[in-house]
Amino acid sequence: MNTATQSNGQGALHRGRRRGSAIESVLLKLLGAGSILFALGYVVCLLYLLIKGASKIASFTTYASPLAGVDNESAMRFVMGVCVFGVLGWLGVAGVRVIVSRFGVWTSAADRVGTIVAVVVALGGAVIARDHLPRFLISLPSETTAGGGIGPEIFNTVYFAVLSTMITLPIGVGAAVYLARFARSPRFVAVVRVALDTLASLPSIVYGLFGFLVFVVEMKMGYSLFAGAVVLALLNLPLVVGIAEESIVAVPRELDEASLALGATPIQTTARVTLPYAWPGILSALVLSIGRVFAESAPLIMTAGTTISRASAYSLNPFRGGETLAVHLWYVNSAGLSPDKVDVSAGTAAMLVVLVALTNLLAARLARLGGAEGTRVRKATR
Amino acid sequence: MGQSATIVDTAETVTERSPIVMRSRFAEDVVRFLLTACGVFVVLTTVTMIGFLAHAGLRGMGAVGIWPLLTGRVWKPEADSYGGLALIIGTFASASGALVIGAVPAVLAAVWLTEFAPPSIKVVERRILEVASAIPSVVYGWLALVYLVPIVFAVAHAVRGSDAPVTGEGLASAAVLLGVMVAPTVLLLSLDSLSRVPRALRDASAALGASPWQTAFRVSVPYAWRGLLIAVFFGFARAAGETMAVQMVIGGARRLPRDFLFSPTTTISAQIVMDMQEARPGTPQNDVLFSMALVLLLVSVVVVLVTRLLGRQRLS
Repeated sequence: MNTATQSNGQGALHRGRRRGSAIESVLLKLLGAGSILFALGYVVCLLYLLIKGASKIASFTTYASPLAGVDNESAMRFVMGVCVFGVLGWLGVAGVRVIVSRFGVWTSAADRVGTIVAVVVALGGAVIARDHLPRFLISLPSETTAGGGIGPEIFNTVYFAVLSTMITLPIGVGAAVYLARFARSPRFVAVVRVALDTLASLPSIVYGLFGFLVFVVEMKMGYSLFAGAVVLALLNLPLVVGIAEESIVAVPRELDEASLALGATPIQTTARVTLPYAWPGILSALVLSIGRVFAESAPLIMTAGTTISRASAYSLNPFRGGETLAVHLWYVNSAGLSPDKVDVSAGTAAMLVVLVALTNLLAARLARLGGAEGTRVRKATR
Repeated sequence: MGQSATIVDTAETVTERSPIVMRSRFAEDVVRFLLTACGVFVVLTTVTMIGFLAHAGLRGMGAVGIWPLLTGRVWKPEADSYGGLALIIGTFASASGALVIGAVPAVLAAVWLTEFAPPSIKVVERRILEVASAIPSVVYGWLALVYLVPIVFAVAHAVRGSDAPVTGEGLASAAVLLGVMVAPTVLLLSLDSLSRVPRALRDASAALGASPWQTAFRVSVPYAWRGLLIAVFFGFARAAGETMAVQMVIGGARRLPRDFLFSPTTTISAQIVMDMQEARPGTPQNDVLFSMALVLLLVSVVVVLVTRLLGRQRLS
């Protein structure tokens, strides 16, 4: 009896015994229907958004789009081409792989060929068709006329992710290592934890105010990507420290002790044993924080501004201002005058959703890689 | 703590004997110092942020007076009149509305998912809501602006009469938008809390002859209620702190709504973003914005305290 219940799995016991009154079962059905509708609502919304934005995102042209004459523009087109055709090539190879491996003839050599094909498609597509990319993805935004694109916004969004990760990575991982392995005073650890909790609970607008006051006003830098990146890095600190610390604490004690017994110092142990083992977890924290960089708007409006200047649209100088996709979506609708702002917004929103969904999938995959199965670990222990 | 002490001790004996490691002793100390500096940095940043905010905020409160600031009805920076009542009411009303519209269904859905749903549906719905909770709030804001506001406009005219001075922008739209926005997060947190209910409790309840419904609502939910409450509070804090999405649908009028549900008003965070661009730093006009941010900060501090209190009680 006992084993039978357990093997039946969760809920078998009380589902099998009593059904409950008629009212209860009706309520139950209603609750279930409501719950499923609840999730369906989000699915429908997102699919609708993606379909509506898809035509903007995937509108390849037969004629060559003229260059707008901005610095680095052709380089940007090339990179965008590599990304677009890389994704297409990868999807194609993955599709072929699914079909072929059904017949059981997919080998590791075929895997290598597939990778080469994807790379060739990416580079070749970028070289041949970089002027025929969807206009929306490579052209500059326009405030008053129809046909504005989001090229600089995409660039800024990715650039923000790079800049803020460059700040979050050392400080966040450093603080996590400190908390998990090197802190000696419990009282100070408690103080750091309270600080992290406070940071995590602050509304993002407060970060925006802080960044505005410190960088824009006190340091007289004006709106800059740098200020925005610092603010976003601070915003992401609690998240990164939390997950990184968790994955460092989860490293088996025996590994550390074995390393120390072999004569490694604590720092060597941390750098060569603990961190490589915890790396997938740390990476997934970073990827999640990048997702938040993509999504955040209020603090960026106050620190990096809402404009794209033609001269520095694709400039790598971090001390210029610039808007991200999320800010653009807001700006187009609240201050923009272009007649096609619904279309532009749909395209921007769909692009944003795709980026955020990709980062989240990546984070989930990295988190699953954690522990002994992590690729980095395999490399480190070879 | 005890464990990290072991590491340190072992290392000390090792370094003393090995000349190679001895040479890097200095580097070790530098790295150790840097790691500590990271911890200190976190604390310093938090203190600085709160300090900046409190400094300017209290200056603003001193200039205007706490009572007029919190209860005044007119927010007109150009006339030096700073009454934050409309902002505060806007924030609290829209966030509370979001709880009714978003958080309550989210908790119910979580109960259904953990107690009654087939595992396959549970996994799929969880994945969907994980994606939904990561969608940028401006995207929700834009969808609401384009599709929700016209619907609310029609509803408003249906309810108040076709020639009433009502609009689609206002607290009703903001509450629905915020509800849709916070629901996925609340649901995910509720799922976590409900999944911690011990299996033995459910089995015992079933063995006593309780129906699934009774088991769910008299055993599981009471056991998990602290976690559920934390989830709801978290949703409230997120709704109260949301800025751009609300700014897009609330209409942006600096006054109490003429019609509570269906006419333009504003919230604290939306007003901060809108006014900050024009207010010169150091002026009372600028300082009162920080005072308002302090009010917002107070909300989130209360939420953290309540969450901590609830979390601690659970352990004992």
